[in-house]
Amino acid sequence: MPQAPTNLDDLKAIVATEKQLLPVGNRTKLPLTQCDDATLVSLRSLQGISEYEPSEFTFTALAGTSLDEVQCALAQKNQYLPFDPMLVEAGATLGGTVAAGLSGPGRFRYGGIRDFLLGVQFISGDGKIIRAGGKVVKNAAGFDLPKYLVGSLGRFGVLTSLTFKVFPKRPVTISLQVACDSQTQAASRIAEAAASRWELDAIDYRPDKQFIFLRLAGPQRACESLADEIRNLWGSDVSDLQTAEAFWKSVVELNWFDDGLLAVKVPTTSQQFFKLYDSLAHNEQIQIHGSVAGNIAWILLKSSESLSELDTQLSALELPGLILRGACDHPRLGAWQSSTIQQAIQQAMDPAGHFCSF
Amino acid sequence: MPALDGLASIFPPQRLVHDAAFQAAFESDGLTAFRAKPLAVVIPETLEEVIQTVHWCHDRGIPFVARGSGTSLSGGSLPVANGIVIALNRLNEIIKICPHERIAVVQPGVVNQHISNAAALHGLYYAPDPSSQSVCTLGGNVAFNSGGVHCLKYGMTSNHVLGCKAVLATGEVVSFGSQSVDSVGPDNTGLFCGSEGLFGVALEITVRLLPKPEMFHTVLVGYESLQAAGDAVSAIIDEGLLPGALEIMDALAIEAAEAAVACGYPPGAAAVLIVELEGPREKIAYEREQLDEILRKTNPFAKRVARDEADRLFIWKGRKSAFSAVGRLSPDFLVQDGVVPRKRLGEALVGIERLSQEAGIRVANVFHAGDGNLHPLIMFNGKEAGALHRAEELAAQILRLCIEMGGSITGEHGIGMEKRDFLPEMFDEPTLALMDRLRRAFDPKLIANPGKMFPGKEAPALSQSGLHPLEKSGVISRE
Repeated sequence: MPQAPTNLDDLKAIVATEKQLLPVGNRTKLPLTQCDDATLVSLRSLQGISEYEPSEFTFTALAGTSLDEVQCALAQKNQYLPFDPMLVEAGATLGGTVAAGLSGPGRFRYGGIRDFLLGVQFISGDGKIIRAGGKVVKNAAGFDLPKYLVGSLGRFGVLTSLTFKVFPKRPVTISLQVACDSQTQAASRIAEAAASRWELDAIDYRPDKQFIFLRLAGPQRACESLADEIRNLWGSDVSDLQTAEAFWKSVVELNWFDDGLLAVKVPTTSQQFFKLYDSLAHNEQIQIHGSVAGNIAWILLKSSESLSELDTQLSALELPGLILRGACDHPRLGAWQSSTIQQAIQQAMDPAGHFCSF
Repeated sequence: MPALDGLASIFPPQRLVHDAAFQAAFESDGLTAFRAKPLAVVIPETLEEVIQTVHWCHDRGIPFVARGSGTSLSGGSLPVANGIVIALNRLNEIIKICPHERIAVVQPGVVNQHISNAAALHGLYYAPDPSSQSVCTLGGNVAFNSGGVHCLKYGMTSNHVLGCKAVLATGEVVSFGSQSVDSVGPDNTGLFCGSEGLFGVALEITVRLLPKPEMFHTVLVGYESLQAAGDAVSAIIDEGLLPGALEIMDALAIEAAEAAVACGYPPGAAAVLIVELEGPREKIAYEREQLDEILRKTNPFAKRVARDEADRLFIWKGRKSAFSAVGRLSPDFLVQDGVVPRKRLGEALVGIERLSQEAGIRVANVFHAGDGNLHPLIMFNGKEAGALHRAEELAAQILRLCIEMGGSITGEHGIGMEKRDFLPEMFDEPTLALMDRLRRAFDPKLIANPGKMFPGKEAPALSQSGLHPLEKSGVISRE
């Protein structure tokens, strides 16, 4: 069982005394919470929204706060996190989401979790409380440590508190499904939609079915008019997505493929996304979903047997992959960048080497 | 010059400059109150020349300052006395624009506006728009995480940079990020952006492009008090609107802009508010009704909607010229860049007014009201003994006011050399110690842009008086 400190002092004491540790939240991304010989430190007892100023578009919450709690609090004030936080129903925490660096389909319009994280408090490897960034929506003071910690997988410090920017919720959303007759046509339509005047909120794609999913968000009249224009442009290929809420939720929860036991994230360009799909399409054990206009490939696998093939294809395309869900020994797949500076940064962030190395 | 041995083998004589007359152009930047004389200015035309220069500096422990157009308002590109200035203006190639992926890959000397100009062909644009965008370069934008008037909605430079190739202060060449908008692993690109040139020099930068908004709806509103303009901003935000821009100017700033560019702002206004909505026409049609209704309740005494694109740019001209225009009211001025929580804007302005009166120093105010980013313009005459010092004292009090209110000492100009002594007031000792370790991880010899961001006596500079020559001639302006 992970240690679960209930206050900052206890947490600091654990960081100072444990030789190797890895902070975890609710462990919804199990492969990211494994590190040989490391003591797991759970942040689940450090939870709660500590400040929320709707008129400032900001809130601050402890790292162990569940995304669900955050989203409910924001919804009461008609606000939201535009990047569509992932694995909300699964129980993910705010800190875990930052450490894993996950953003959902809504990332398309206004940016990802990195773009909404304003400030962090964390405990560094020498047991000190570090406060970086700020609590206002605009700030250019000092190195941007909040951004650096997005995707850092808990390897440089224990996140304890986070400040985010939020936006006002849009009145309505309308989701459309666009059938395509080939991957080429889909690629071209995705690019057209992404560069269009429509100001789409999300553009996702299911290559096995050749369906594009578009989400409009804004005033009702405007969304309806824009939806009509899309229907006119692509005719009978366009249909209303009747199960829109369930569909977008299945992407966010990574459970659109019933048999998917493992989930992998791969950042891609649109072109790389289609190449990756081509290389894996023959394997029925693998299902791919393209999010953010082909900039994120979410890959679900029936079993770990296909991991080696995925690893090989990612390496061939020089793409990195991160296993988020399922049983595996090592969460990294494919080609990850490495540099001398990475080790020097690790040393600077964690001089005593208390955290599992990256 | 023996000290430059080796550099001469990298650069031909015309691109390794150490004559006093030429170097004078590089002695200062947008923070005109300070100057320093570099050992030499090099003008690379290839990435390899930049890399070799950094190696040369690293081998000898000689400091360097990478510089684009020198528009930094925090003294971020101020040279280091006896250091090398690496002038990157000739590395100005837009390497590629990929409309399909909506990205551009550019060299560091590319001018901000030129990216949008090139992308316009594809209906795309590069969103970050600092006021100096017609001259400032992407390398500097990345180093200082530049802002602009659209930050609340679209974020700052770092929110639009997907990756970069850079030569670090050690000479190591790294590639951070990728051409995807998303990533896995720690966000090195995010850390590099805003590092104020202390980590190294960006060589190639990948930015994301956005579709150009179909239409803009720009409204200029005149109020009889600053408070009323501030209340209008709160009313707009509280109604759930998310304008692309929300700008306020006070009477003194209006007076300066009017004198400089005859922008036709409402005569007698104690404050003007510029609100800009942008997006598909259907959305704007709806939101402008909402905005009209909100503004009607705020008792403006004048309101003007931009009739067309030319009129819109005319409205913006007053705002964007405001800083340089203040040069007409005062021979010298300092531009501050503090941030306060939006709801405390009114309180901050009252505080600034009080401090201004106590000090007997005139302060004009221009600010990005949507994100609480204040730009007090502190006017002084540098030729008067002690005037700069008194202006700096007032600036310090304003910065402390911002910190006390839970804000920041810089929203978009960076710490630079100007505010380095205030970094410890914003961050505590353990946080500063960590930032110092990070700096040393990238730059163990402390040769990359020393004297910026961190407090201390590194790289001292001389003070001077008057506008930058380019500013006097209207080529550059300060936001």
